[in-house]
Amino acid sequence: MTRRPGFLVYGLLTAFLVGSAAPLYWSFLLGSHTKEIAAQGVPPLLPGGHFWSNAERAMTTIPFWKAIGNSLLVSTVTACSVVFFCTLAGYAFAKLRFRGRGPLLVFVIATMAVPTQLGVVPMFILMSEFGWTGTITAVIIPWLVTAFGVFFMRQYLVDAVPDELVEAARMDGCSQIRIFWHVAAPAARPAAAILWLFTFMQVWTDFFWPLIALPNSNPTIQVALNQLQSGFFKDYSLVLAGTTLATIPLLVLFVLAGRQLVSGIMQGAVKG
Amino acid sequence: MSNSTTSRGGGTQTVPPTREGSSAASGSTGRTPRPEWRQRLTRLDVRLSPYLYISPFFVLFLVVGMFPLAYTAWVSVHDWSLIGGKGEFVGLDNFREVLGNPYFTKQLVNTISIFLLSSVPQIVIAVVLAALLDNQLRGRTFWRMSILLPFVVSPVAIAIIFGSLYGDRYGLINELLGHVGIDPVGWHTERFASHVAVATMVNWRWTGYNALILLAAMQAVPRELYESAAMDGAGRVRQFVSITLPMIRPTMIFVVITSTIGGLQIFAEPRLFDETNARNGGSDRQFGTITMLIYDFGWQLRDLGRASATAWLLFVVICAFGIANFLLIRRIGALGGDR
Amino acid sequence: MALTLATTAAACGGGDDDGTTADGVTTITVATFNEFGYEGLIDEWNAANDDIKIEQVKVGTWDDAKANLYTKLAAGSGLSDIEAIEGDAMPAILAEEGAFEDLTDDEIDGRWLPWVEEKTLNADGQMIGYATDIGPEGICYRADLFKKAGLPTDREEVAGLMGTWDDYFALGEEFIKKVPDTAWYDSSGGLAQAMLNQVANPFETDDNTVEVENDELKAVWADVTGNIEKGLSTKLPQWGDDWTASFQNDGFATMACPGWMLGVVEGNAEGVEGWDIANVFPGGGGNWGGSFLTVPSQGDNVEEAKEVAAWLTAPEQQVKAFAAKGTFPSQVEALESDEVTSATNAFFNDAPTGEILAERAQAVTVQPYKGPKYSDILQAFQAAVLRVDDGSQDAAESWDQFVTDVEALG
Repeated sequence: MTRRPGFLVYGLLTAFLVGSAAPLYWSFLLGSHTKEIAAQGVPPLLPGGHFWSNAERAMTTIPFWKAIGNSLLVSTVTACSVVFFCTLAGYAFAKLRFRGRGPLLVFVIATMAVPTQLGVVPMFILMSEFGWTGTITAVIIPWLVTAFGVFFMRQYLVDAVPDELVEAARMDGCSQIRIFWHVAAPAARPAAAILWLFTFMQVWTDFFWPLIALPNSNPTIQVALNQLQSGFFKDYSLVLAGTTLATIPLLVLFVLAGRQLVSGIMQGAVKG
Repeated sequence: MSNSTTSRGGGTQTVPPTREGSSAASGSTGRTPRPEWRQRLTRLDVRLSPYLYISPFFVLFLVVGMFPLAYTAWVSVHDWSLIGGKGEFVGLDNFREVLGNPYFTKQLVNTISIFLLSSVPQIVIAVVLAALLDNQLRGRTFWRMSILLPFVVSPVAIAIIFGSLYGDRYGLINELLGHVGIDPVGWHTERFASHVAVATMVNWRWTGYNALILLAAMQAVPRELYESAAMDGAGRVRQFVSITLPMIRPTMIFVVITSTIGGLQIFAEPRLFDETNARNGGSDRQFGTITMLIYDFGWQLRDLGRASATAWLLFVVICAFGIANFLLIRRIGALGGDR
Repeated sequence: MALTLATTAAACGGGDDDGTTADGVTTITVATFNEFGYEGLIDEWNAANDDIKIEQVKVGTWDDAKANLYTKLAAGSGLSDIEAIEGDAMPAILAEEGAFEDLTDDEIDGRWLPWVEEKTLNADGQMIGYATDIGPEGICYRADLFKKAGLPTDREEVAGLMGTWDDYFALGEEFIKKVPDTAWYDSSGGLAQAMLNQVANPFETDDNTVEVENDELKAVWADVTGNIEKGLSTKLPQWGDDWTASFQNDGFATMACPGWMLGVVEGNAEGVEGWDIANVFPGGGGNWGGSFLTVPSQGDNVEEAKEVAAWLTAPEQQVKAFAAKGTFPSQVEALESDEVTSATNAFFNDAPTGEILAERAQAVTVQPYKGPKYSDILQAFQAAVLRVDDGSQDAAESWDQFVTDVEALG
């Protein structure tokens, strides 16, 4: 794979990029015009000059920065927790022998197949038993581990960590935890980076549970953004300025984490 | 599980089973003999570590994952009003009622149709995209992060944007179709067209995500394999088919299984797409899915019993599809070990 | 993180505690959706009271508010001290025994219009909710399009032409002959809603027996679906994107306008000139919408909550809410107040909207009986209308499916 990719590759990627970014640009466009223009549906191709005034309106209507802060906190904590616990369990499922391994893994995967729409009622009962309703804890706890994370890490590690490597380490007298830390964990980095990012994004966009679990004076960003739609008349310029503004911290995070994550993907490639 | 069997065989050499005693091992390996307590410790380490590693996950999972499931199962065999709470035990009555409901069949067909229209193209495009990104690109980071852009858009914005794209009368797509002389498409009213529209929303959102997962797996494929294949004169397509695809099979299984589960549970997109008051998938439930039926039973009609029964019925359908897909993909790439 | 948790718990009253802090201040939470216009009122209360503070919990739409309400009713905890309920969902709430407090209070006897008060009483005659606003309906119309069709444009003259539904439809047929690209009204769903609100027993008899195959409902159905064929309707789902866009595209010329709809029209039709409102409603008066404040029994401070709910829904307060967000008051005294009757609306050609709507409220004679299944059946009915609108079924087929759907509700 030493050959440099050609025009076709860049062309296809660019086409994909345009498709991915277009709706985001569209929201920015509508958010940058007056509500009069936004109400007319399809906007002009160039942004108008009202983005900051719309954004300011959005920020004074809802507790914007507080909500962003809450979302950052919830997403970061859960992403780190999922990565840690699921890598550990995923490694055990991928590389260690123990009684009940197969059935337990199938069981974990099967639980993903039950739709979650109804989960809010028992979850709310559970959280109020613990006295956590209304606090950020109630939004964090349900996301601390995911079946998805375990399955993902297991599938990645099964091949990314060669059995011979684990074996060799054991022959050298490494304890299990050392093998995990020095052999499996480095190999898991790219997958862990992706799992971190996905969990972060998923928790960031979650709406229904935070709506129910948190008081509205202390919401996550999605719940706060939803308040912009109050009233029968939807002011698209206001709503979309708000949603666009809310993606800015994410884009910054992407740029900062992006290098880290992608270099993680590269280094993780186990050489033979 | 052939690979695992190998590793077990290896394990037996280093750490012999108790009944054989310790002398055989320390003698045969030729390493510095270790004291017996140390070997015991190692053995304990090997035996207990797996449980230690999975237990934090399972302890948390039992609380946050299993309790809701058990609760739903319990509710499904009772007469259970959302507000009024538990009524009589009714056995399988809820299940019978749901299976007899004409909308169940209709929405199951919709679900499967939308699932096929989204998952199949999504995985194919994701594989191609991952292969493109698995190149020595200029500005690698940029390209890789850019495919996740759809992921940062708030659901509120998605509803607005796709609403104005797919408007039946004043939508952008129908307007463009009009310019080339094609009649407007009833995106919200014609059953198949509505499935296509919903599937587009799904694919737009999730293709890049799947591509990134596949990319990570592709990056873990040892480069030497490609080099030796290239020396044998294999072209890039051939390399991809005979090296990359088999090597990423566990991840491929993961992607297929999770897309099956996610695709058959599709909820957010059709609900955001819906413009009717009831929001259960169009005037005639043209694009109503099973999860929307669950929501309708639960939160609209306040019948938690029927809602829970529907949830478990969907569980059965998903398991059937999941197993079928698993067997299918195992057969397709029947190279290498069974994982 | 421990610090964060501690502070958030303090800030929000911590869900499970009783909302009373160490210094004896009780915080009463009020959950609302859409716009109730309460922000200024709450500031006013909080400035004047030291022992009880009000905190508003705002959710965007009733749909989300409803999901939240039902989940917490099911879980048995977590509701706000005061929960706002959308009018059409009220019958289902009244049927839930023991979940909400009886708010009956002699002191506020006669505060509301009689037909509004009736909607708040459960089977035992307990008052479960305090009415906030109502939606008396007039007819909004585009004077500029009327002119184009050669129809009178003056709001008094227009009112004279729409006394009955037959008059209204006949005028519509005349209109679409002259202006074929524009429909007569905004949506079949909106029309159906307006007409249903004049039927005494649309879906259920007074003893809560579901009875949809009645002549009155069938007559509404025949009118609504017949008009679709004649081309009077835009055939668009109300509140959808196409419907919203039709305001900017001369999509229609008239619509049934409850008081709260004025803001919707003004927002969606921004930049469009020619809107006006006529002091008339075909077939007599009609009310569409309006909400109620209830006090869930699971709360810890029900007495204080009652006090706050009574204060918020008092005439003086609702008059201020009307000034803030245009929610039209349901209280007799508020309707007679100068602030309400003297209100005009610049967007609607300076129409005396306060006076018009107050008169429309007095004109309401029939209040439809709404049983616990009303809102569920209404959704099935709206879907049935839409199936004819979008051409997926003809009227007979769609009616049959509606009947089956209603049977399946059980």
